[in-house]
Amino acid sequence: MTLLRSLSFRLALLYLAVFAGSVALLGGLFYWIEVARPLAEIRGDIRSESAALSEFYRGEDPAALTAALEARAVAEAPRVAYHALLNSRGEPLTANLPSWPGNFAPGWKRIEADVAREGDEDEYEALVLDQQLPGGLRLLLGRDIDDIDELEESLSDTVLWIVPALLLLGVCGGALMSRVIAARLDAISSAARGVIDGDLSSRIELRGASDDFDRLAATLNLMLDRLEASLDAVRRVSDSVAHELRTPLARLQAELADLSASPAPEGAARALAEATRLQTVIDAVLRIARIEAGRHAMTARPVDLSALLADVIEFYQPEADVRGQQLVVSVAPGLSFAGDGDLLFQGFANLLDNAVKFTPDGGTIVIGAAEEGGAIQVEVRNDALVSAPEQLDRVTERFFRAPGAAGVVGLGLGLSLVAAIAVAHRSDLSFRSDEKSFLAIWRFHTRDG
Amino acid sequence: MHILLIEDDERISGYVAKALREEGHLVDVAADGRSGLTQATSEAYDVIVLDRMLPQVDGLKVLHALRGMDDTTPVLILSALGDADERVRGLRAGGDDYLAKPFSIEELVARVEVLGRRRGQPELPARHMFDDLLVDPVARVVSRAGKRIELTNREFRILEYLARNAGRVVTRSMLLEHVWDYNFDPQTNIIDQHVSRLRQKLERVGGEPLIETVRGAGYSIRRGSA
Repeated sequence: MTLLRSLSFRLALLYLAVFAGSVALLGGLFYWIEVARPLAEIRGDIRSESAALSEFYRGEDPAALTAALEARAVAEAPRVAYHALLNSRGEPLTANLPSWPGNFAPGWKRIEADVAREGDEDEYEALVLDQQLPGGLRLLLGRDIDDIDELEESLSDTVLWIVPALLLLGVCGGALMSRVIAARLDAISSAARGVIDGDLSSRIELRGASDDFDRLAATLNLMLDRLEASLDAVRRVSDSVAHELRTPLARLQAELADLSASPAPEGAARALAEATRLQTVIDAVLRIARIEAGRHAMTARPVDLSALLADVIEFYQPEADVRGQQLVVSVAPGLSFAGDGDLLFQGFANLLDNAVKFTPDGGTIVIGAAEEGGAIQVEVRNDALVSAPEQLDRVTERFFRAPGAAGVVGLGLGLSLVAAIAVAHRSDLSFRSDEKSFLAIWRFHTRDG
Repeated sequence: MHILLIEDDERISGYVAKALREEGHLVDVAADGRSGLTQATSEAYDVIVLDRMLPQVDGLKVLHALRGMDDTTPVLILSALGDADERVRGLRAGGDDYLAKPFSIEELVARVEVLGRRRGQPELPARHMFDDLLVDPVARVVSRAGKRIELTNREFRILEYLARNAGRVVTRSMLLEHVWDYNFDPQTNIIDQHVSRLRQKLERVGGEPLIETVRGAGYSIRRGSA
């Protein structure tokens, strides 16, 4: 459940728990002060009254006790006094309690004491001590506790209604808070994703509320400004490097071409070839750097990979034929991927170029492509003298040349370019090798996840 | 042809002008954008070779101004910014061709000549004849001495491009740009294998070799009669 994974929601729940705990603690304290303690005091009072009244009943005549009880009933006191004195047959000798339980059960009881006074019936709750006196008499002695009882009732109402409402509101409030915060965070992460995708001009929208999130967004935007500015500076430098390298190279080539015109001095042609090679290296390195920096203006359009692969294969077929190599092709039809067709063509061309160059004459190159499990997998397998496994990780390094590559034309930049193109397309490029073949696997994710 | 070269680097402009003059062209040189633009509007040129980065008025601005005046003179942009998107920007601004620095002089001369020809005869002949070879782009038929030659689509496009530029040098990168639908950089000269295969098919039925290799530059097919 995504809601439970949200920090703000969990914080809201935690806050709710702390709040509920505090309410319970305060409620308990209130109950103890306002209910439990007064009741204990009243019990103590009734016990001592009972002890005092017992003094009036030493013999067998209950008249003195009756008189004392009746006097107690009318005496001024903060709490109305109740009593019932019953003989051994259960008949009342004196009583101001309206009713009592028929059977004797020693201990404390709550009895409803409704008192009719001037036509109105007041309901009272009384706390009563039920006890047996010598001679078969039964004495119920009590005091009015109606105020405490009402307090108790309202407390239990509170627990019954307020607490569930509190919990419900707390959970809803937490969910709401979590949604609001998630929306603000989403704005930040979508801007960040834009930057990851190469759009450095992406910024987080401010709400204008100057709240914590706005301040965070403003700080992040400031950071992005700085980042963009310094990257722009790097770009300007790399553009001028490109310009400053290419222009003198063009001049050098002009001079050398002049020199190599007849009569050519010794080595002029070799120097010209070297200058041309230098140009190729600079072009390739700059191009890889541009693609890696996300500076190549990638135009992602749906590309028919099946057709594109067929074109790449057709491009290399004559060269393979000359070398007596067999191209075995199994490309599923209709493979489509959103990407830059020119770059993808370049990438596959470089893979095939490598395969054709490194496969011995008469060897086989297998090209396969199929879609499976949300990804299109393109494989190029060729017979070759294979690099050791530890070298597989290095094949995409710039200027890396496999030990077996001596005598093969190349700069060691072809696979670096493929790797840069693979990253630009968020695809995975990997290489494997066994005893006699080299395998390049290029996976394009057509589904998220 | 009458060619205007707008280039601020003296060494390069001297070298390019010299090579073009050796091919028999008349070359005027301007060293900055402003004088280049004045020159371009005061005289009629067959081709303008324009450097991308110029003092005073930038190369693309010159091109923009020129196209704004309905001047359709073919323009070849020279640039030290060799990236694919730079190239697209140059062509979008109204350039007819784009060449990254450093370049081989043969490449530049070949491209200038092809651009000049395009202006000279805008209408393509329906069919080309080279000795006994017939190339019919409309019917997509190639035959030699009456014998039909089966070519793949790609081979046909190579031959057609060579035929359209008959008598001029077509470089490997020009073939790559016009015959293949992708903008890419082949690591090796795979193009040679395609041309050699085409050549074999054309010669298998007999007759003189028609496609020449121009050393250090590219290929050429001898001009025939339309």
